Amino acid sequence: MILLDYKDRRPIYEQIVEKLKDLMICGVLEQDSQLPSVRSLATDLSINPNTIQRAYMELERRGFIYSVKGRGSFVADTSTIRALKTSELKNKLGDWVEEAKRAGIKEDKAHSWLAEEWIYEENGSGGGVKE
Amino acid sequence: MIKAENLTKQFDNIMALDHVSAEIKDGNVFGLIGTNGAGKSTFLRLLSGILKPDEGTVTIDGESVFENENVKKRFFYISDDQYYFNNATPQDMMEFYSKVYPEFDRKRFESLIGNFGLEMRRKVHTFSKGMKKQLSVACGISANTDYLFCDETFDGLDPVMRQAVKSIFANDMAERNLTPIIASHNLRELEDICDHVGLLHRGGILLSKDLDDLKLNIHKVQCVLKDGMTEADLVSLDRIKTETRGKLYTMTVRGTREEVVGMIESFQPVFYEIIPLSLEEIFISETEVAGYDIKKLIF
Repeated sequence: MILLDYKDRRPIYEQIVEKLKDLMICGVLEQDSQLPSVRSLATDLSINPNTIQRAYMELERRGFIYSVKGRGSFVADTSTIRALKTSELKNKLGDWVEEAKRAGIKEDKAHSWLAEEWIYEENGSGGGVKE
Repeated sequence: MIKAENLTKQFDNIMALDHVSAEIKDGNVFGLIGTNGAGKSTFLRLLSGILKPDEGTVTIDGESVFENENVKKRFFYISDDQYYFNNATPQDMMEFYSKVYPEFDRKRFESLIGNFGLEMRRKVHTFSKGMKKQLSVACGISANTDYLFCDETFDGLDPVMRQAVKSIFANDMAERNLTPIIASHNLRELEDICDHVGLLHRGGILLSKDLDDLKLNIHKVQCVLKDGMTEADLVSLDRIKTETRGKLYTMTVRGTREEVVGMIESFQPVFYEIIPLSLEEIFISETEVAGYDIKKLIF
């Protein structure tokens, strides 16, 4: 379910937080569904259970998951995480626009690119590799 | 909890350990790192009560370890050079250890031996180095002790087996709160599994910290300052090390990512980049600060 990149210099628990967040955003982990237990995830990934625990604590602190005593951790209302993702994406676009402006890209050019990309993604980017 | 206080051990005129103190919390993985001959094995032998400290004490939950059978039942020591009886087979070792450790899990041992692809009735002296290590891990895990002391245990295991052993440790930590104490000179190996690391160097503990705290509080920064600014303008940064190549500054800086980013941005540099350090790099910079010969730590 989670692939770790051992070359990544960030602490492992941060990687786990990010990966689980992505899974919640794209809907693999649905609201109120149960997350794998600390033990099973630690055994699968061959890492320290305390690392997983720490990642879960971080997710809980940010309100992305909740835990039920004796039963485990569950995905919380995903609207918060989605809202966060939306603003993150918006910021990214802001950065991009700034960079594009500096490079002398015109507004209508950017618009047409966006439209092109949109169509491309909707028409099944799943299959082919873009040139 | 294991507590070592002021441990000192001398062999003739060699000072193996010089007033070392450390605390090992239950349910954590404690990594013991150091150069060859830094005193890692001596430390573990003192913890397990094989050697008598010249000075200082080792206690497990307040009880002294040396010559204390009841406390010794609570840990298993996988030595670097595990001892097997002459002509013994895994079966014999199981019989022996189940006498010493009342909680020894025979079923677990048999299934581990089976999973590792070893045979219960083959003589241990016909095993390869790696197979002997596997056997010692199987003994250690099946002994069902609270603590497991591992001296270079991952050495000699193949990559698949390393992952498997780490998985077993992870499982037992979650299931029965096992506390592994792992001595190694391979920093890369410890990076994935340790909560807490202690660095031994020439018989003394240089530092003992939580790994994540270590990693989140030190960063490497590369930046090109804008015209007119020099190194002297960077005083607000808690720099450990600075290298300059033309206009490019490469620095090792203490502080959280947010703090460092904030400060760097206030300089309005032409370009900057921040990366966390690997465990290996952390130790190189930490030991350099302590005035040790860093070349001895790179391998």
